Amino acid sequence: MMICVKLIANYREQLPPEAKNGVVELDVPDGTTVYDAISKFDIPLDDTSVIVLNGLTVDMSTPLKEGDMVTAFSAIAGG
Amino acid sequence: MYGWHLKILRVNLTTRKATTEDVDPKIARDYLGGRGWAIHYLYKEMDPAVDPLSPENMLIFATGPLTATPAPTGNRYMVVTKSPLTGALAHSNSGGEFPTWMKRTGFDLFIFEGKASEPVYVLVNEDQVEVKSAAHVWGKDVHETTDILKAETSDDARVACIGPAGENLALMAAIMNDKHRAAARSGVGAVMGSKNLKAVVAMGNKNPPLHDTEGMRALSVDTSKNVGADVKKGSNMRIYGTSYVPQVTNTLGILPTHNFLQGTFEHVNNIDGDALKNQYLIRHTPCYRCPLSCGRLTEVPDGPYKGKGEGPEYETISSLGTGCGVSNLAALVKANYLCNEYGMDTITTGMTIAAAMEMYEKGYISEDVIGMPLKFGDHDAMIAMIKKMAYMEGFGKDLAMGSYRLAEKYGHPELAVTTRKQEFPGYDPRGSQGMGLLYATSNKGASHMEGDVAYEEVFGVPVKENPLTTEGKPELVKHFEDSFALIDSSGLCVFVAIRYVFSKDRMIWPERLSELMNLSTGAGYTPAEVMQAADRVYTLERMFLIKAGSGPEHDTLPHRMLHEPLPDGPAKGRVVELDKMLPDFYKERGWDEKGYPTQEKLMELGLPM
Repeated sequence: MMICVKLIANYREQLPPEAKNGVVELDVPDGTTVYDAISKFDIPLDDTSVIVLNGLTVDMSTPLKEGDMVTAFSAIAGG
Repeated sequence: MYGWHLKILRVNLTTRKATTEDVDPKIARDYLGGRGWAIHYLYKEMDPAVDPLSPENMLIFATGPLTATPAPTGNRYMVVTKSPLTGALAHSNSGGEFPTWMKRTGFDLFIFEGKASEPVYVLVNEDQVEVKSAAHVWGKDVHETTDILKAETSDDARVACIGPAGENLALMAAIMNDKHRAAARSGVGAVMGSKNLKAVVAMGNKNPPLHDTEGMRALSVDTSKNVGADVKKGSNMRIYGTSYVPQVTNTLGILPTHNFLQGTFEHVNNIDGDALKNQYLIRHTPCYRCPLSCGRLTEVPDGPYKGKGEGPEYETISSLGTGCGVSNLAALVKANYLCNEYGMDTITTGMTIAAAMEMYEKGYISEDVIGMPLKFGDHDAMIAMIKKMAYMEGFGKDLAMGSYRLAEKYGHPELAVTTRKQEFPGYDPRGSQGMGLLYATSNKGASHMEGDVAYEEVFGVPVKENPLTTEGKPELVKHFEDSFALIDSSGLCVFVAIRYVFSKDRMIWPERLSELMNLSTGAGYTPAEVMQAADRVYTLERMFLIKAGSGPEHDTLPHRMLHEPLPDGPAKGRVVELDKMLPDFYKERGWDEKGYPTQEKLMELGLPM
């Protein structure tokens, strides 16, 4: 199934060249979780990152569906 | 005592006399400094019912016990006064260099009273205080004024001043320091203008003596190392400042768009941090002694929006940008420069123009009244409106009163997205419930800087909190309000403070911050004591609001937030469930069910009954 991963700001350095506006499409097998998808990129998977699914706060073990968007950004400070 | 000078400079602008006075050490300790000391003096000396633009209003510049110390980001000051925009309290924070220079004059607070008969500026060179004519800079913008006053005083001086917006009493006027930094919100620049006070120039070498210089140095170095480690990992803040945030809030569906009609912006990629970095960023520009360095010098090198300055920050992108539907980055950057030069709060400026755009599109305000079409996305019209506001020209007179008064005048108060008549910052609370409670109850009207629970609901700092739930938010909002009152009183910047001098628990705890306060002052605070002092500050501010006529009856949100569900994004269908949070919030604060501090609470905090 096709899903999207979006990385924000400095995390974008981890994206492949075909990514556009920080978003890359990935073909992943059924059963892929949020954790599986984001693990494909070299970003910290600790409390210094925020990872959301379709903009929502979810457990990292949540399985993905066709068309889902996983987004990650560095948790540094506010605006 | 150390850390504080325990000295106040009081300038009566009517008589042009300056006097100095000592601060009672008990008051110093109980109210921390900065914002805390300011509300103590404001509440004690001024009738909260005064007209904010009258000579009776006091204008207070307040540094904290960590300002001008080695503590990382110990470079902040607060401007505290009664707000002409909200009728409530104004306490606006700024960094840069001026606050450190102000503290080095040997005074912790400057209090300005009365009104000069003609434009003046005040020069404070340690004990030498002069009230001087400002006739030659009246009418000039912030950059010109700063350059002229430095040239005629000293290159070693630092300047805080108003631009044309403050002179003309526009209610979104800011007080700018070091040209680009703003004590922005709530119309503090209009209060300064109402006193005919164009600028304050500070210079001196009186660093505050420290209780434990070596200990302060060691803890400051250690804290800076922690910041530096994150910077080395590629901190967003040094490269992007806050300009990376539109992508975050757009993802969560809480990016104010078209006057909060939507929570996502179709053209966000045109105006985000990467667009700014790739097109206009020159370099980062830190505040004094800041290891994080989120300020950025930018330049639009050519074309109709040519200019050079600092920013824009997120709050400007979400107001003058997405709020107004503007996707032309060069025009947005130019609008930011203009606001800095005219001395204007970009949030209230942008969201007032956004409200006018909605009213124009709905046919509530005609092209004849405005003088031109004013559609969402029209960046040239947006820029034209900024100029009209600063100079009070034509329709600009209506805009300069803020969106609440604008929407009321044209018969549609429901279109003003304000609390206590102050415009919302860049987090739509329908998708960030804690922020909704914060905006509804903030002592300064809608403001993220009053207790920014978006740190947890949006940014995951220090832990990620679900923004869509109301559970646990009353205690979290109360705790963040007190934490911000503490930071604002200390003289630190929230960006570094929240992440590096509090514990990394959901209920952040000021272990390192209280230690820094002790190394500076020798006051021997425990973390619990500084949090109680912050509660004292917050509660006294609430008492001020009640006496000013901005009490619990104003603890609400505008129609759109309570009755119009978000139409798009992850928070689609949501409104703010304020009624589920407000009663528990009052309990958490020790206020009665109507929102008034109880006698028991006032006694516990040692406040006047």
